[in-house]
Amino acid sequence: MISDYKGILVIGEIYDGKIRPVTFQLITKARELADTLNTSLSTVLIGNNINEMAKEPIYYGADKVYVLDNKMFDPYIAEVYSAVLAKFIDKLKPEIVLIPATHTGREYGPRIAASLQTGMTADCTDLAIKNGRFIQIRPAYGGNIMGEIFTPNHRPQIATVRPNVFKARDPDTSRNGEVIKEEPDFSNVNLRTVIKEIVKTTVTGAKKIDEAKVIVSGGRGVGSKEGFELLRQLADLLGGAVGASRVAVDLGWMPKSAQVGQSGITVSPDLYIACGISGTIQHIVGMKDSKIIVAINKDPNAPIFNIADFGIVGDLHEIISVFIEELKKVLNK
Amino acid sequence: MLDFTFSEEQDMIRESVRDFAQKKIAPIAMEMEKTKQIPEDVIQGMADLGLIAPTVSTKYGGQGFDAVTAGIIAEELSRADPTGSIPVFYLVQASWGHVFDKYGTEEAKQEILPNVTKGKWFLGIATTESDAGSDVLGTRTTIKKEGDKYVVNGEKMYISGVREAYTRGGGHITIAKQFPELGAKGMTMFYLPLQSKGIIPTYVDDLGREGISTGGFTIDNVTIPKHYIVGQEGKGFYIVHEGYEYARGLIAVICASAGLKSLERGEKYLKERKAFGMPLAKFEALQFRLAEHYTKLSFLRLGSYWALWTYDREGQKKATRFEVSKAIAMAKMFASEWSTQAIDEVMQWQGAFGYTRECVDQAAWRAIRSFSWAEGSKEIMRVIVSRELLGKEYTSYK
Amino acid sequence: MKILVLVKQVPDTSEVKFNENGVMIREGLQSILNVFDQFAVEEALRIREKYGGEVSVMTLAPEQAKSALQKCLALGADKAYHISDRAFGGSDTLATSYALSLAIKKVGEFDLIMAGNQATDGDTGHIGPQVAQFLGLPHVSYVEKVESIDGDKALVKSLMEDGYRMVEVKLPALFACIPPTTFEYSNPSMSGIIKAKNKPYIWFKADDIDGDKSRFGLNGSPTRVLKMYPPPKRSRGEIFTGDYHEAVKKIIDVLKEKKVIS
Repeated sequence: MISDYKGILVIGEIYDGKIRPVTFQLITKARELADTLNTSLSTVLIGNNINEMAKEPIYYGADKVYVLDNKMFDPYIAEVYSAVLAKFIDKLKPEIVLIPATHTGREYGPRIAASLQTGMTADCTDLAIKNGRFIQIRPAYGGNIMGEIFTPNHRPQIATVRPNVFKARDPDTSRNGEVIKEEPDFSNVNLRTVIKEIVKTTVTGAKKIDEAKVIVSGGRGVGSKEGFELLRQLADLLGGAVGASRVAVDLGWMPKSAQVGQSGITVSPDLYIACGISGTIQHIVGMKDSKIIVAINKDPNAPIFNIADFGIVGDLHEIISVFIEELKKVLNK
Repeated sequence: MLDFTFSEEQDMIRESVRDFAQKKIAPIAMEMEKTKQIPEDVIQGMADLGLIAPTVSTKYGGQGFDAVTAGIIAEELSRADPTGSIPVFYLVQASWGHVFDKYGTEEAKQEILPNVTKGKWFLGIATTESDAGSDVLGTRTTIKKEGDKYVVNGEKMYISGVREAYTRGGGHITIAKQFPELGAKGMTMFYLPLQSKGIIPTYVDDLGREGISTGGFTIDNVTIPKHYIVGQEGKGFYIVHEGYEYARGLIAVICASAGLKSLERGEKYLKERKAFGMPLAKFEALQFRLAEHYTKLSFLRLGSYWALWTYDREGQKKATRFEVSKAIAMAKMFASEWSTQAIDEVMQWQGAFGYTRECVDQAAWRAIRSFSWAEGSKEIMRVIVSRELLGKEYTSYK
Repeated sequence: MKILVLVKQVPDTSEVKFNENGVMIREGLQSILNVFDQFAVEEALRIREKYGGEVSVMTLAPEQAKSALQKCLALGADKAYHISDRAFGGSDTLATSYALSLAIKKVGEFDLIMAGNQATDGDTGHIGPQVAQFLGLPHVSYVEKVESIDGDKALVKSLMEDGYRMVEVKLPALFACIPPTTFEYSNPSMSGIIKAKNKPYIWFKADDIDGDKSRFGLNGSPTRVLKMYPPPKRSRGEIFTGDYHEAVKKIIDVLKEKKVIS
């Protein structure tokens, strides 16, 4: 019965031994939704040796934190997460479940929806309660159209949300809540997957793009690995990070962790400078919510100019050098 | 029952060729004006897809395609390559590959055609001479049987693909006088390998189709084996027209396609360019010209496919030789004129820029201009149609 | 090896046009084989070449999707299954995955099922994982390469946001694939196109697959679209084509004003 389902559940993601920031973004938004619906907000954390961080979701707005702590949860394997979480959700019966639309969430999440035979909306860019309905808003056709989706007759209503779509509130350590240790139910797990190797391609010390307020990003036009040095200089001056389009990553000029776009990271910094990036939909979808977009490209017809607040047509290395020169004057460096 | 649609298969062929041409040909097309050759990876890509001489039967590495399907490929290549280089590379090999397949000896076909369809060798046509173009019987090149071989003497001029056949391998379907006293019944068609001893090539700096060479060659006592004879001795004059006609049909499609593509570019320009406070597209004079050229070229396109379809029907015994000659001549009669006129108009819209080499349309104009004489002049097309209408007895010359 | 690739025909959104109200024009859009699925088909063909076997393709779609399946056959796939019925109209991803899984069970056992990681129209990425769930198979998403297959174990490279994992899975399994940008999509050859028309093309209607009909189509879809509208448009701003110093100075002024730089 639909009425048996109550409350909102956010599935928290543990990554690199920490709760992934997107979790706190979802909790912040979910708190709003929970308040509108006058219902409770829970988070479930799933990982290994995670008791230390169990309180954190409370500081962002969760009323309850369920902890699924077991060595089976590290490394992450889709079959394990989906089976255990499906059992857990079926037991808890929340009316709404939010899952981070990270690569992992997009991998195990749909299995949960299928297992529970309920509705799921992917990559939501906004969530709202209208007329008591939970409305899930998402782009389609490569971002060319927006759709409003809802799940009238099935529970829970599951939605995945991209990182950096919502902003996390500042944590309030005075908030109170309940931490509940949950015994994972492995009865539906039929393990046939082994993780052989995990390779990170981050450059140590490099600023992470998903937290940066300024991103200087390069694409095919940069021309080479060495070409990114100038972008680095500009980024440093602006206190920002260096990003890249998928092409630049595939060509080996920048690590995967710098990739902005549909199959990389979605960012919404205060300033995004796109250098030598043509502006395919797959890239734009990852940065179009930046506050100010500056595009530099030698092709005046590059699609990136259509979404840029400012654009400069010309040789990107020359232009960036000019930028650095002029900035130094302004910053008195 | 009239059906103006292509088959599912033909649609798939068109889509595949169009996609290939967009990815591999369009980006490098204008470069060929400077490099004067078709990039090797394009030739290889075409060969891999099965686009070189697809009219040749599968036995020799072709696809066994009919003329209409061959036309579809020509249309898409022409859209992507405004310089006309690849369309010419394609149409010559497609048309004369078909003729070779139909009339060549088994031994020669086994030896030559697989190399052509693989893109290794070039197969061309060499009937034109310095002093004989439209008047095929004015050919001065001779061929004489000597024992088990044939000896050829003469020269050919304004031939496409001389450098390609000379450097890569391959040769040209050639026509020469074997029995001069028999007139039209005394000409023989044969395959002439261009790397033969006794062949000296020369090159001509012509106005367009820069990616494929134009030239000539002297033929000094060149010996060819008897299996290189195409068709029967003395039948050359008749067989060669089948090849000309195939080529003319493909040329008509190519002209329509290049002209329509040019109009597409022009349309975009009319919308973007402003004068006197409004886009050029709002000026009725220009709108009317766009509409007129578009209409003529669209009919040319349909007419070309109709002519190629008629060509195929001869093979099915549903059309006579004469019906085919007439249909093909009708298709080619105005092809180059109408297309160059449209392209010239598009150049005019672009004013001074249209007069620079950066403008793509000028390359298209130079390419399509060649089709007013290539494989049969527009004047001869009129001769053919009037002859078919009035009867042979009214032809003013033998 | 018996490989099945799930494919979808989608509108070609690479050249989208908008009307005066900023609404995407859907009429006249070409329909194409979803590029992620084409990659999956080409990977499957490579696996077949290396390990032997048969590659089938399957779609749940209206009749017009025939050209997408034909393209797969022309690229080299051996068989096509086309599930088409009015009953499937209005299906969301759950209803689609359910019907697909039933059709797969009907057709037989496969060692490997592949699919594009997502389709360029819906972009949900649901079908792969959900079909795997319904079939009780393990799956991996974001697979850029099937590295090797050794007996009944496959080793795949799965992309993460900041790197990749090498994942070993016991077959049968499902892989949802994503191509590298440098991937060069093949064009069907002429001979491939000719051969395609003689390959088995099997149609399935709703009655041909055994399952719970109430879970097909609109009625079987838990999610509903309330409305669709154009995205908030970022309009084209100021594009400088002249002197670099002028342009840069102007931009820096704005950045100072907006306190992006201090």
